[in-house]
Amino acid sequence: MELAPMIEVKDLHFAYKKHKVLKGIDFSLFRGEVVSLLGPNGCGKSTLIRLILKLLDGEDKIRLEGRSLRTYSHKEIAAHIAYIPQYHHVPFGYSVLEMVVMGRVSKLGFFASSSKKDYEVASAALCRVGIEELENRPFGQLSGGQKQLVLLARAIAQEVNVFIMDEPVNGLDYGNQIRLLELIGSLAKEGYTFLKTTHYPDHALLVSTRVVVMDGGKIIADGAPEEVIHSDMIKRVYGINAEIITHDLHKRCVPVFR
Amino acid sequence: MVGKERRYILAGVVILGFFALFSLLWGQYPISLELLGVYLQHLLFDTPADPSCNMELIHNIITEIRLPRILLAILIGAALATSGAVFQAMFVNPLVSPGILGVLAGASFGAACGMLLSENWLVVQVMAFVFGFIAVGFAVLVGSMVTNSRSTVMLVLGGVISGSLFTSLLSVVKYVADPYSTLPAIVYWLMGSLSMAQLNEVLLVAVPILMSIAGMVFMSKYFDLLSLGDEEAKALGVNVGLIRIIAIVLATLASSLAVVMAGIIGWVGLIIPHIIRMAIGPSHKLLVPLSAIVGGTFLLAADAVSRLALSVEIPIGILTSLIGIPIFIIVLKNARAAWN
Repeated sequence: MELAPMIEVKDLHFAYKKHKVLKGIDFSLFRGEVVSLLGPNGCGKSTLIRLILKLLDGEDKIRLEGRSLRTYSHKEIAAHIAYIPQYHHVPFGYSVLEMVVMGRVSKLGFFASSSKKDYEVASAALCRVGIEELENRPFGQLSGGQKQLVLLARAIAQEVNVFIMDEPVNGLDYGNQIRLLELIGSLAKEGYTFLKTTHYPDHALLVSTRVVVMDGGKIIADGAPEEVIHSDMIKRVYGINAEIITHDLHKRCVPVFR
Repeated sequence: MVGKERRYILAGVVILGFFALFSLLWGQYPISLELLGVYLQHLLFDTPADPSCNMELIHNIITEIRLPRILLAILIGAALATSGAVFQAMFVNPLVSPGILGVLAGASFGAACGMLLSENWLVVQVMAFVFGFIAVGFAVLVGSMVTNSRSTVMLVLGGVISGSLFTSLLSVVKYVADPYSTLPAIVYWLMGSLSMAQLNEVLLVAVPILMSIAGMVFMSKYFDLLSLGDEEAKALGVNVGLIRIIAIVLATLASSLAVVMAGIIGWVGLIIPHIIRMAIGPSHKLLVPLSAIVGGTFLLAADAVSRLALSVEIPIGILTSLIGIPIFIIVLKNARAAWN
């Protein structure tokens, strides 16, 4: 882990009109980390992510590679960070390969068009996530799990180190959820940095080097997964009962009815 | 993939060339291929012409009548179809076109005002563009008044309202226009006609039209990204606001100039992109340049029909509607597969 953070957020406040969403966030992301952002609906997770991507205005308090985000264009940000949104409807029926090639657009000049190399990089990215056989299928006809993999392949084709994911397993079936987490784990071993929001404390235990918990627009815990995720925190943030059990030396978070 | 794009575009250009040659030779005074060869030799190498064939007549037919008309048909078809493809991408809405967004109505109102106010050609062009742009703006404004999100139906409704507004305003202009000179000029021009084409005028308007088409073609790789939604496009590194405004200005400019030159020619901007999407796919890198080529070919063919089908010439705007409506119904039937 390097000393200087990739992304540094200091005392960040943000409000949609009069509704305060973030009330003083301090947060850093270092190269090689897998950070899971936990918290109930409306706690400000997605807002924080959108601010880091400069999709919302608040960049004064955010630094990327030591430079204020205000000085970055979207093209420059795309040279550092890839965003993997939740899979969604696309109005035109692009093929899978075309979707992945779109990840290369920030590498092109204004008038340049995608070259053979861009298509090769896109194909390789599809291979990496294991869906090369879907290359020519229309994106809209894929299952949720396949779509999420295509969006991940697009981020790989972008050739950057930091991946920001918004609730990556949302809407996937149980098998695809776990497969996607495994893939994130194996990409992290190759050196990719992840910042992902999640609704599942158990998933945070499965794949993260650090867990950040947000509640009511503030960060209330930040540290190693095993230290941060415990019954009291779950009770406080989500208002339910859960136990942390150990299985094969790994911690698991299991909800229990009382 | 990259080679495939080149092949499609080459094939399109060859087909366009065939249609252009056909239109050059065929007409009330047919010219044979041989005669064209003799004429070209005469023109280029100044070879003495056979006195039996009237070189001066052929020269006049080609340069005064057919060539300007062919060039204008290609330019306008290309301008309308490309603008249609770009509007559909910009508003992430497969149902919009220059006609549906009210651009054609706005531009025709602007151009009619221009004709009323001034004899100057440039005034007419600028007025057409300004009011074409106002019409799109108005359509978008009305479309976003009810819902903040970009709704397909609301934008179409906004366009219908904007189109009606400018059609009504156009009626006002017609009402006050001189019934013996200006009014008939406006009415005939609005029906859509390529027959008034003069070579120097065509070449003059070709420059801005070709420049805006070229601009849209060069920007086409961004249109795929914009159709994913603004946030995703920004995260992928696209300057969304800048691309959107440039694209809308270029599409409005091209379609307004088409209106100035030939009146209201509907449906081309709506159906051509749909046909290409159904046949080849939705990627704008291919859709935008092919729309230009296929749009040009379509209007050239429609113009040939309008000249040759009956003994009198059918106004081209009426013909494109008559051809466009059944095609669009077929397209709608297959639309879901092509959009999704």
